[in-house]
Amino acid sequence: MNLTAESQKSVDAYLATLRKRLSDLKDDDVRDIVEEIRAHILDKTSADPSPAWVDATLAALGSPQQLALRYHTDELIQRAQRNHSPELVMRSILRWASLSLGGMAVFMLSGIGYCLGGVIFVMGLLKAFFPKQAGLNIDYNPGHSLSAGFGAGSGPHTGHDPLGLWLIPICLLLGGGILFVTFRFGLWTLRWFARPRRAPALAAVDE
Amino acid sequence: MNIPALPSDGAEKWEVQLRKGSLELAILAALWEGPLYGLEILRNLQSGSDLVVVEGTVYPLLTRLRSLGLVSSEWVESDSGHPRKYYRLTDAGRGRVLAMARIWARFSRSMSSLLAPLSQENPRQQQPGRQPLTTEKP
Repeated sequence: MNLTAESQKSVDAYLATLRKRLSDLKDDDVRDIVEEIRAHILDKTSADPSPAWVDATLAALGSPQQLALRYHTDELIQRAQRNHSPELVMRSILRWASLSLGGMAVFMLSGIGYCLGGVIFVMGLLKAFFPKQAGLNIDYNPGHSLSAGFGAGSGPHTGHDPLGLWLIPICLLLGGGILFVTFRFGLWTLRWFARPRRAPALAAVDE
Repeated sequence: MNIPALPSDGAEKWEVQLRKGSLELAILAALWEGPLYGLEILRNLQSGSDLVVVEGTVYPLLTRLRSLGLVSSEWVESDSGHPRKYYRLTDAGRGRVLAMARIWARFSRSMSSLLAPLSQENPRQQQPGRQPLTTEKP
């Protein structure tokens, strides 16, 4: 039995959105995925092509955005795990962020983590190469003011650096640690939370 | 001392995680008898197990299993007028599902033994000093 014109339009729109959302995968993979989902819809609606059942079939698959996210998340997590790539993890989180507030929160936290870790790590390197220009700078002028800073400038410090060269290992370890924890946090949240939630009533498996 | 009940939402979350962990094994096991296409796998899981599977989760998982080399796929023309993508276990997939089934059986036996005292229809309240989770006989 054939679908009604209205149902056919719904199916075509669903597949078009899915194709668009998968567009950064290889063309052959996108074609394969879209054709498989089309075959699934046609098989499920072959006995009952009523618009209500077609809508139910599409709903059971989840939105095309959610479905595409599952493909992307799986693929990117695998690649990120294989290559230990923070960039791939961030790309996955960015895609997740475009779909949900949870993803947005994780994206912002990850961004803050990478920036913070990166700045501290770079400061350790700068201190190693420019020990007089980079580091902590506490400037105490009796009776006038106390100022403290952390950074690198073009000229030598005018104040006191209490950590001295100890700043190098501290910054490298702390910055590297923050970068590592941020990477693992991103991977962990993707693995456990990025996949779209379903209604509790479905009580279903969401791999 | 009574054993405190898990909050129901905590138990539900635990059940969802348990089902998640079982889905890969269930899909590989469904393919043990021979090649199936996606909807057949879904129906097989729904009729042959207690798993209630979200349809949109199975296809990405099949794609992942294929990229891991555990299943292979092939498009086959059908009488329904459109081709279907059939999945079959590879040698690596057969080895993996056998290993997973062995682990599952061993784990299930040990857990069943551990949980036997809890499965009575009218569980008695635990008395002070009584060990509730042992199967050892005096």
